[in-house]
Amino acid sequence: MIRRSRGLWAAAIFAYVFLYAPLVIVVAYSFNDSRLNAEWVGFTFAWYGKLFHNEKMLQAAWNSLLIGVTASVVSTVFGTMAGYAMYRFKMRLLPLLILAPIAIPEILMGVSLLIFFVLLNISLGMISIILSHIAFCIGFVAIVVRSRLAGMDESLTEAARDLGATPWMAFRLVTLPLIMPGVVAGALMAFTLSIDDFVITFFTAGVGSTTLPLQIYTMVKIAVTPEVNAVSTLLMMLTLALILIASKLAPGSLRAQ
Amino acid sequence: MKKLLALMLFVSLPALSADELHLYNWNDYIAPEAVKAFEAQCKCKVVQDFYGDNEELVAKLAAGAKGYDVMVPTSNYVAGMAKAGWLQPLDKGKLPNFKNLMPTYLNTEFDPGNKYSVPYAMSITLIGYNDQKMKELGITVDSWAVIFDPRILQKIKGKVTVLDSQAEVMAAALKYHGYSVNDRDPAHWQQAKETILKAKPYWAAFMAQGYIKELSTGNIWVVHGYSNDIFQADIGAQEAKQKFRIRHALPKEGAVLALDAMVIAKTAPRPDLAHQFINFMLEGKNSAALTNITGSGNPNTEAMQFIKPEIKSIKAVFPDADSAKRLEQLKDMNKKERKLLNRIWTEIKAK
Amino acid sequence: MATPQNRLHKWLIGGPPLAYLVVFFAIPVLIMVLASLRNSGDFGGLAPLFSEESGTLDLTTENYGRFFSDLIYTELFLKSFAYAAITTLVCLVIAYPLAMLIARSAKKHRDLLVLLVILPFWSNFLIRVYAWMIILGPQSVFVSALNRVLGTIGIEPVTLLYTPFAVIVGLVYVHLPFMVLPLYANLEKHDPALLDAAQDLGANAWRRFWRVTFPLSLPGVYAGAALVFIPALGIFAIPDILGGTEGIMIGNVIKQQFLDTRDWPFGSVLSMVLTVMAVALAGLAAWVARQSRT
Repeated sequence: MIRRSRGLWAAAIFAYVFLYAPLVIVVAYSFNDSRLNAEWVGFTFAWYGKLFHNEKMLQAAWNSLLIGVTASVVSTVFGTMAGYAMYRFKMRLLPLLILAPIAIPEILMGVSLLIFFVLLNISLGMISIILSHIAFCIGFVAIVVRSRLAGMDESLTEAARDLGATPWMAFRLVTLPLIMPGVVAGALMAFTLSIDDFVITFFTAGVGSTTLPLQIYTMVKIAVTPEVNAVSTLLMMLTLALILIASKLAPGSLRAQ
Repeated sequence: MKKLLALMLFVSLPALSADELHLYNWNDYIAPEAVKAFEAQCKCKVVQDFYGDNEELVAKLAAGAKGYDVMVPTSNYVAGMAKAGWLQPLDKGKLPNFKNLMPTYLNTEFDPGNKYSVPYAMSITLIGYNDQKMKELGITVDSWAVIFDPRILQKIKGKVTVLDSQAEVMAAALKYHGYSVNDRDPAHWQQAKETILKAKPYWAAFMAQGYIKELSTGNIWVVHGYSNDIFQADIGAQEAKQKFRIRHALPKEGAVLALDAMVIAKTAPRPDLAHQFINFMLEGKNSAALTNITGSGNPNTEAMQFIKPEIKSIKAVFPDADSAKRLEQLKDMNKKERKLLNRIWTEIKAK
Repeated sequence: MATPQNRLHKWLIGGPPLAYLVVFFAIPVLIMVLASLRNSGDFGGLAPLFSEESGTLDLTTENYGRFFSDLIYTELFLKSFAYAAITTLVCLVIAYPLAMLIARSAKKHRDLLVLLVILPFWSNFLIRVYAWMIILGPQSVFVSALNRVLGTIGIEPVTLLYTPFAVIVGLVYVHLPFMVLPLYANLEKHDPALLDAAQDLGANAWRRFWRVTFPLSLPGVYAGAALVFIPALGIFAIPDILGGTEGIMIGNVIKQQFLDTRDWPFGSVLSMVLTVMAVALAGLAAWVARQSRT
């Protein structure tokens, strides 16, 4: 039986409006024919045209993409290993190190990595950002993979072993395909976290490594032109496309979250 | 792991590639056509990164950031940066256009003999205002009192912003009381703090640069800000066909002058391109291009003929000799003074 | 179980991620603990660890002394706590009905409804905050409509942008999904038979909620509260953008130490205190959740 009162509906609709109103504003103003972003003047595509000639912005988008892809690939590999290890074996230190980066304030992680890179004489830039992003993404991937493994039927792997498969073969042919939705979901999450990260990137960025969030931050603080709206509309479309592709490739992967 | 290393190598490649000049500059502080012209001349690429504050630049360098060729700090930071060993001496032989610069802006106490730095452009921290609103309210904007005196502020409550900078706000308050912007007397600082705390309830926000848009839209009427930004706000107001204009006012008590200068990093990968770039920017036409789009003050004699007359006529940006005397450059503070100032600033912001 | 081969596998699989996290997480954090005991350098960064004059380790507890002797920092912590606590509470009030609705709708719709909660969350954080600048700005349709309504009942027009209110709205907005998801995960598992039983025993809807649903959902409430409270505590971008003259939080002061004042050791001290509090709170939430389960 379904128990839904009118009050519950009203409250839920309010929550959805609250969630979506800002996004509607962002998208709508990307077509607004006014530099000031204050009142509606008229419809235009000009900001998109301008955006594609804005080298700063394109460079920043390219940096973000490069960092996001590299960091999510590496952290997915490490995160899957960590998730599997936590499920399979008794690990004492690993779960702590997986959870801690999620639990501590982001600013602490950014600052401590900054000090760390300086002491090691690693120059700040793309590499330091990627290394940092991997560090905070591993945990999220590991948790998603771990929860996926928890719902898995152990006997399948055992059957494969009984049929003479090596542990590696059993993992590759049986376990991996079964946990694939979790791995994809984790990778997706890592990619989003990386491409959206501002605080840790802010502290670890250096020469030639301005990312989109950093670029947007300078623009938000300075005179904001609708180019910011245009770039974020495109970004939203990109992530939406990614989600749709992922849900086609691995149905149910989104549920793992 | 091999894949990881290969990937990292790939990522780091652009930084190592040959003909690139890495410019670490203020946001929007160079004319795009000047960049294009330089790229065509040197057959290289200019890679730009941006900062919003000198401290951001210093923080990055202190953190060991390497790879920048040319940076554009404000003069008063040059002495400290040179002492910290982050700069390399300039080869004046490679800078024939150095002669274009006005002697007033050379050989400052921050860099005697211009060993490390070459003036680029300047801005004055002053007051920007909405001319229509001020006329309606009958407020004459000619003093820091507009920012600090509650009697005037009560007419414009919530329509005022001040810079989000501990050094600038303190300097303005010190000037208001008739002290030097570089006064370090703790009693005077205390007095300035009291003044700021009394005025703060009338201010809308501390803003680093967001006030440009707020002035153009008419949301904010009076700001404590940089002359360049106030110029941008006026352009914005005109573009939006507003009925008002945004004007500069140089307070009679005096104000802070920020002379930004080009320097070459000690670790610059391409000092040759860096010298070439600096010399290029000293050409009258290229120097004027910056002033024409940003409304900055200009230390270059040869540039004057290329600057638009409507900019040259803004007295607050190109002050007469008498007003120029009341401008001061901020000096860098020592560790202890900085800590004390930050303590005061934290209190100002928390209260 | 613990055959040598098994142990080999364990380290082969668990070792690399463990090593990575030790190098790029544990060690930096430990260095940070040490940094809070050092002196700051003249031009930022840290003073040399070995002082040249005395030839000894140059360590100091002065930075902690500064924190504990000056009430202003404690005051700022309390203020940040208040912001984070209000944010958590508002998130809970908004998220609860939403999570309940999703948990009680038909199975085939649930995924979509959950996705709709996460979706805005996949666009850039700063953009979402920035959108609120437009909505709360003095020229927005929303604010002028509100002021017209207030005007008819004789209340002075209000400004919303650059106020603590704006900071709370921003904080609630970016953290809401962290509250909805754990709540939903919990509420979904509830057995509807319990509510039926309560109804049969004559309990009205209000009583059924407070006596059955809410107590059962407490673990979800605690998890959500921890996920909202901790990140909200250390944030600095939102007060920076929406806060005006009164919205400053401890995150802003930490950022200042690194980017304005060149006082890394003191910044480290503030971060340490923040972390200790956050971890303690997370531990408390976990403990309370475990207590309420038994």
